Amino acid sequence: MAPTKDRQTIGGGNGTVGAVMVVGAGIAGVQAALDLANSGFFVYLVERSPAIGGVMAQLDKTFPTNDCSMCILSPKLVECGRHLNIQLLTLAEVQEIHGEVGDFTITVQEYPRYIDMEKCIACGLCAEKCPRSVNDEFNQALNKRKASFVKYPQAVPLKYVIDRDHCIYFKPDKKTGKIGRCRACEKFCPAGAVDFSQEGKTHHVKVGSVILAPGFKTFDPSRAATYHYRQLPNVVTSLEFERILSASGPFEGHLVRPGDRAEPKKIAWLQCVGSRDVKYHSYCSSVCCMYAIKEAVIAKEHAPYDLDCAIFYMDMRTYGKDFERYYLRAQEQGVRFVRSRIHSIDLGQDGDLLLRYMDEDAGLHQETFNMVVLSVGMEVPGDVKSMAATLGLELNPHDFAATHPLTPVATSRPGIFVCGAMAGPKDIPESVMQASAAAAGSGSLLSEARWTRTRTKEVPEPRDVSGEPPRVGVFVCDCGINIASVVSVPEVVEYAKTLPHVVYVQENLFSCSQDTQVQMLKVFEEHQINRVVVAACTPLTHEALFQETMRDSGLNKYLFEMANIRNQDSWVHTQEKEEATDKAKDLVRMAVARATLLKPLVEVPLTINQRALVLGGGVAGMNAALNLADQGFETILVEKEKELGGLARRVHHTIEGLDVQAYLDDLIARVRAHHNIQILTQALLVSFIGYKGNFVTEVLVGPGMYERKIEHGVTVVATGAQEYRPTEFLYGQHPGVLTQLDLGRVMHESPEKAAAWQRVFFVQCVGSRNAENPNCSRICCQGAVKHALELKMLNPEMEVVILYRDMRTYGFLEDYYLEARNQGVLFSRFDPEQSPRVMQDKEGLVLEFQDHVLQLPVRLPADAVVLSAATVAGEHEELASLMKIPRTSEGFFIEAHAKLRPVDFSSEGIFLCGSAHSPKLISESISQALAAAGRAGAFLADTTQTISGITACVEPERCAACLICVRVCPFKVPQINQENVSEINRALCQGCGICASECPAKTIQVSHYEDDQLTAKIKALF
Amino acid sequence: MRLQYPTDIRIIQVPCTGKVDIIHLLTAFEEGADGVFVAGCLEGDCHFLEGNLHAKKRVQRVKEILDKVGLGVGRLEMYNLSAGMGPRFAEIAREMDQRIRELGPSPIRKAKASLPKAETEMRV
Amino acid sequence: MIRAVGKPLEEVIGMVQDYPRILVAGCDGCVTVCEAGGLKEVKVLAAALRLYFTQQGEPKQIDETSLTRQCDKEYLAQLGDRIDGYDAVLSLACGCGVQFLADMYTTKPVYPGVDTTFLGVTEERGVYTERCQACGRCILADTGGVCPIARCSKRMLNGPCGGSDKGKCEVNPEMPCGWQLIYERLKALGQLDRFEQPITPKDWTTSRDGGVRKIVREDLRV
Repeated sequence: MAPTKDRQTIGGGNGTVGAVMVVGAGIAGVQAALDLANSGFFVYLVERSPAIGGVMAQLDKTFPTNDCSMCILSPKLVECGRHLNIQLLTLAEVQEIHGEVGDFTITVQEYPRYIDMEKCIACGLCAEKCPRSVNDEFNQALNKRKASFVKYPQAVPLKYVIDRDHCIYFKPDKKTGKIGRCRACEKFCPAGAVDFSQEGKTHHVKVGSVILAPGFKTFDPSRAATYHYRQLPNVVTSLEFERILSASGPFEGHLVRPGDRAEPKKIAWLQCVGSRDVKYHSYCSSVCCMYAIKEAVIAKEHAPYDLDCAIFYMDMRTYGKDFERYYLRAQEQGVRFVRSRIHSIDLGQDGDLLLRYMDEDAGLHQETFNMVVLSVGMEVPGDVKSMAATLGLELNPHDFAATHPLTPVATSRPGIFVCGAMAGPKDIPESVMQASAAAAGSGSLLSEARWTRTRTKEVPEPRDVSGEPPRVGVFVCDCGINIASVVSVPEVVEYAKTLPHVVYVQENLFSCSQDTQVQMLKVFEEHQINRVVVAACTPLTHEALFQETMRDSGLNKYLFEMANIRNQDSWVHTQEKEEATDKAKDLVRMAVARATLLKPLVEVPLTINQRALVLGGGVAGMNAALNLADQGFETILVEKEKELGGLARRVHHTIEGLDVQAYLDDLIARVRAHHNIQILTQALLVSFIGYKGNFVTEVLVGPGMYERKIEHGVTVVATGAQEYRPTEFLYGQHPGVLTQLDLGRVMHESPEKAAAWQRVFFVQCVGSRNAENPNCSRICCQGAVKHALELKMLNPEMEVVILYRDMRTYGFLEDYYLEARNQGVLFSRFDPEQSPRVMQDKEGLVLEFQDHVLQLPVRLPADAVVLSAATVAGEHEELASLMKIPRTSEGFFIEAHAKLRPVDFSSEGIFLCGSAHSPKLISESISQALAAAGRAGAFLADTTQTISGITACVEPERCAACLICVRVCPFKVPQINQENVSEINRALCQGCGICASECPAKTIQVSHYEDDQLTAKIKALF
Repeated sequence: MRLQYPTDIRIIQVPCTGKVDIIHLLTAFEEGADGVFVAGCLEGDCHFLEGNLHAKKRVQRVKEILDKVGLGVGRLEMYNLSAGMGPRFAEIAREMDQRIRELGPSPIRKAKASLPKAETEMRV
Repeated sequence: MIRAVGKPLEEVIGMVQDYPRILVAGCDGCVTVCEAGGLKEVKVLAAALRLYFTQQGEPKQIDETSLTRQCDKEYLAQLGDRIDGYDAVLSLACGCGVQFLADMYTTKPVYPGVDTTFLGVTEERGVYTERCQACGRCILADTGGVCPIARCSKRMLNGPCGGSDKGKCEVNPEMPCGWQLIYERLKALGQLDRFEQPITPKDWTTSRDGGVRKIVREDLRV
């Protein structure tokens, strides 16, 4: 039998270590770890707490899709936990670092768990028997957990931990001063997993680079005494409110207030708690507006009555992709938005809370709420600051990692990258993007050492069982006492022996233990078993383990079936032993019935062309190409214009003052010089066929329009956006009316002209946030602030007025907003109903607007009126239809998942970055470009990908070519082929089974879930 | 969470409710199920994007058939819940169990005079 | 293609209730494409019938099959060796298939399980519209490819009737006026001058009025 390999191993680089340490295992760390591990690097994932998942695991729903947070996160956690090339180090901290990029040695301190991870079966008896209750920090101390606990039910690793700070064992006896009392967990643990003698371990880990993703902590509102957060139980933080909403939270998803468990009828959200406040943090925390809206919307959905939700805010900062739509929808759903910053909260009657506020009509109001949610901001935790000191990293004035706008994921120390909230407050998709970007950064530094540190697993060639009659082996697990204390396992064993095709039955104390696995392997061979049924805990956590053992013995892993007699039986019918035993028998009978019909399935290797195609030669496209090329992949960069550079050609400085043109020149030079990059300019895409790993694209190139056919494995779409050409405000009719790009040009080419201006108005949201284009263009507020500051530099006497709707200077951009106010830039808010008017009279330009403080119209002459014109999508209709990639109604491309797959398209092998995705800053485009390159590179590097065995297959003889499958497939996989029958590409099929169930000729089957395999279970039940 | 629910429920795992065929549902009733419930992801949360929406349509059609053949619409239901909603699952199980008890054993099962058995259920 | 819709279950029950052994026979042709009579619908209907009769306390043997086409003898012949095992056949083919099946097995009661509706197209899944009435003498060449027989409620041959209102038909205001469509199409083709040549009275002998229709294609017969 020739061995096959799970992973390839190739020779190592000279001295470069092909391993990476990721510190912090929230969503950013998890994403970075997965990207790296899948592309040939060994990853040490270091997490301070006992389980990975971070804050995202605590959230109920996520904006703007209202996805269940845990549902979308959990598969990634499970993948991390199982990955052959990710080593989890939980309860661990980085203590020291030596060496330099390519070869670091890091000292990691792992604290004792007091539970042997190898032995713990997560049955929970230790927690049940533990007499010590303490506040459950996962639920924000809204309820209790035990001193022996798991962080949350879906935790990875799903292993208990003993909280040394609270465990009675570790509390010295008052009289004797000795420790060692209680030990209840130890006594009751059926697996002998409790080990009080465990000591901490020190690891010295060699890695080539480090990615920091330690996350954030929420601002502690008790620092602001006027909120009385500690004293008023019905004043909660937004994170507490997430737990209140969560079905797995302290109140099982019932919307009640903590003080008296009463259902609130009125809830207020107070924005900017700890943010945009020079007393605490002057920056904007970027995410609070959106999460507050989400919480209000979800709370209204939760309440079976008409819940009044009011959000008190200064500026509503819904600047992200489709966020403005979400805000508008919330308004339609009746969420109230009150523009007012609340200073203090007073206690009303019966635990209610009194808010006093001035609204925009300058009226003083007093309103009572049943509950108040404080939208607390993000800040850097103290231990992250000290870690940064340990690693010798620079921090910015707000204590976040100092990064350069043009290298947004690089820290001040080469080889150490940062992603997620440590690099500034941000939401989940941006954290995920930065994580992939950081992985791309690591990947390009260490590309020569790919696959040098990865583990491989050799398995024997599978045995051909096709000619054999089914020989089923049944293994019934006691799970210690988890199953055996309720279900009579011996009875089930005896029963299983009577079932057809069953040749062997065995009872296991712990089926999953290492020694049992070894013993089962022997049994498979001795009894020539060719179908395996394990009656035990749950396939969710254990199927992969048993399948692994089958593979080790040369059995195809698809010849496995599990009867879930713990999670779906003994655990949920603890009082009904007899019924539970009967149910276990039923479940085993059903499993055996299906097992006898299971077929071995082959996972065919996916061939992958190693070339990348990048569409668009702007900042995003060039950065993506450069990174892919640095990762070692041949890259073809296609640009439709004559010159590279894109929209950035028309931008002169960033708000930080960086010279964009100098950067572009350097970037273009690097792209042109790179031996792995080929540039095609004036190139037009005319055909795009194929699928992940195997695309063929045709382009017409140059003035001669010669045809070029490119075979490639991945595609990165970076086709950019454009500035809206206003038709309003006399644009194009008066030379003094400019867009921001026009203004940039004037200031660059003839600064003396700009310096002579006496009064300049900026009008925000021109072409954005209106009926035609409901979304916010994100970058115009900072653009106006940037230009206003530049104008003030040119001429400090100049009167600069910014007319805005909401100032959306998110994150650290808030500093510039503050600076602009300090420099005397005037800001005046307008309502869209009372939009400013630009007129021309004898003297020149005149601007009329409603002053929102005076509530009076103001009319002033102006030397220039600068329109903050929207960023609108490029003309991509044809490209989208050729590539079959979706666009929003405004024409921006739609990523696979707004939250967790922000740079992937749902068609695998195609990636997205830059403003083709949505408007963004140059630094954000770079970050996203690196992310797309990281994802694309990870795909190309993983040359051992296989196609899942579980796919839909058409039996062509009976296909009526009716197109139903073509129409119903959510992934657009089935196609009618040249033989005029439906054909489903196995490499693309996701195995959902919709087509099989809808096929009117019943000629599609999903392997492993074939109709007879499913109905066998139904029939066996009766 | 180990929330207790009635013992007469058997779960059949499918990759997605999109795979639950009308014919599977009818087979369950033909075999003698007293009740069936399909548990899919929350609408809009389907891992396969639209599987649960198809399942909803199919459940609706089978309900119409069941009504016409004299079994009534109450023995079949589609529920949407997420993997994080354990309490809701137990609640649904109890709700369905209670409902089926009120409806009594399936007339098909009585007609077939087979051994008394329990409900079946399909879920992802 | 032919479009059909399943008959109401009660109607089908009424047809077959006296037979203890029933074969439900689908057709893999047009009725599969319009999801009315393919193997899936066969299985669904058979299961529904079994449930009904079992529930009534009179279980029957109800089996399932589907033929490549029921409008060809060779495929129908495939039922030959098993048809005697049944007391009746419930055909989910179009009216042609049902009749041809009955023609072939003269002593076997054959019942239709679907209502054959029209010759039409699929606008989208589950939405079909009529396009052809099989009149036997096609005049699409004169009408810009839009058929006034199928798409004008009154089968007008030379322009709309007086009831065409804002492009809608007076018989069914939901429906576009067929002649409006013809006008728009001819305009798009730059062939509005066609209206100057009246369409001569149509020979209806090839249509329904010509009696039961039959095609004999000598070029295909040996």
